[in-house]
This record gives sequence, structure tokens and C-alpha cells, in this order.
Amino acid sequence: MEKKQTEHLYEGMYILSASLSDDARQKALDRIITGITKRGGELCKTFDLGRKKLAYEINKKRDGYYVLLYFKVVTNAITEMWREYHLNEDLLRFITLRTETVPEKIEFKPLPEQ
Amino acid sequence: MLKKSPVENLFSRKKKQCPFIAAGIRHVDYKDIELLSRFITERGKILPRRITGISFDFQRKLCLAIKRARHMALLPFVSEE
Repeated sequence: MEKKQTEHLYEGMYILSASLSDDARQKALDRIITGITKRGGELCKTFDLGRKKLAYEINKKRDGYYVLLYFKVVTNAITEMWREYHLNEDLLRFITLRTETVPEKIEFKPLPEQ
Repeated sequence: MLKKSPVENLFSRKKKQCPFIAAGIRHVDYKDIELLSRFITERGKILPRRITGISFDFQRKLCLAIKRARHMALLPFVSEE
């Protein structure tokens, strides 16, 4: 009997190369999104965090373009997606984590001074 | 009430409260760089909890969040002066 796969909500942060033009960056992002949707996933929200200075050099690059995606996908698709990400040269770094909720906006509560 | 001897007074310090529990934070997010950078040294090392007063549970959560932030180049592994 085939085991039914459960769908989970994931949060993915991607660093795209900042040297790409706007069109090329959009194309790289579309490639990531189609990777999710072709595996039966559903994109919930996209946050464009913009160009940021990297804390250290990655592939001799000092800047990166950060994108945060929230998506629902089956568990097995994640490993397939990772394999694809490693072949993507425009993608400097990525992280995929399980989450519970999709935030409305990215902001954090400040910790009071002691 | 029993008065503490001067030697005992020297060693008895007021117990620190975990800043995360005090602020009512339940989840430490790796994207919150402002918060994470308060718990690392200038060099980029994670501060021990005997200095910051963080509870054991939150130190583990904070540690994981800092390591995730380092992977995403949000925080440095080693920062040069």
C-alpha cells in the first residue's frame, strides 16, 4: 500500500546573486517557484527582502539579493528541490525550514534593555 | 531573620532572569539580526549564558538561530577588526 504523503508549510530563504539584472533575477526566482509548483506545491507568500551586504564573501561576491518564500509542499519534494538548488548557479545560498504560520509582515518585537 | 555573614554576602548575587522569558518571546527567529547580534561578541562568537543570563532552553534555541543566520550570511562566522 502506498503511504499518503502529508503536505507541510515551509519557509524558504534564498540568496540570489546581486550581479544579475532585474530580468535575470526574476527568471531565477521563477525557476525556484516552478520547482515548487511542478511538485504539487502551492506558493503562499513572497517577501522581497532586497539587496543586502553579505556578512562574508560567497563565491567572491559581497552582496546578495534576499528572497523569502512561504509554500506548502509534500515532504519528499524538499530533497528533490535541494538537489535542483545545488545546480542553480544564480542561487548563492538557501535554507528551507518547517513553519506553522505565514506572517503578515516581517517584523520583530524588540527585547527590552536590561 | 537570619542575617547573612559578610562572606556569604560576597557570593550571593541576585539571580538573573532570562531576557527571553521576561520579554515573553516564545520563538527565536534567525531573521531577527538585531536581537541575535546582542548575544554575540565583536568577533562573532556566541556569548555564554553565564554572562547573558539566558535560560538553558533559550540558549539552545538562540544557538540554533545564530547558526542559521551565519549560514545565510546574515551574521559573520568570524568578524575581522
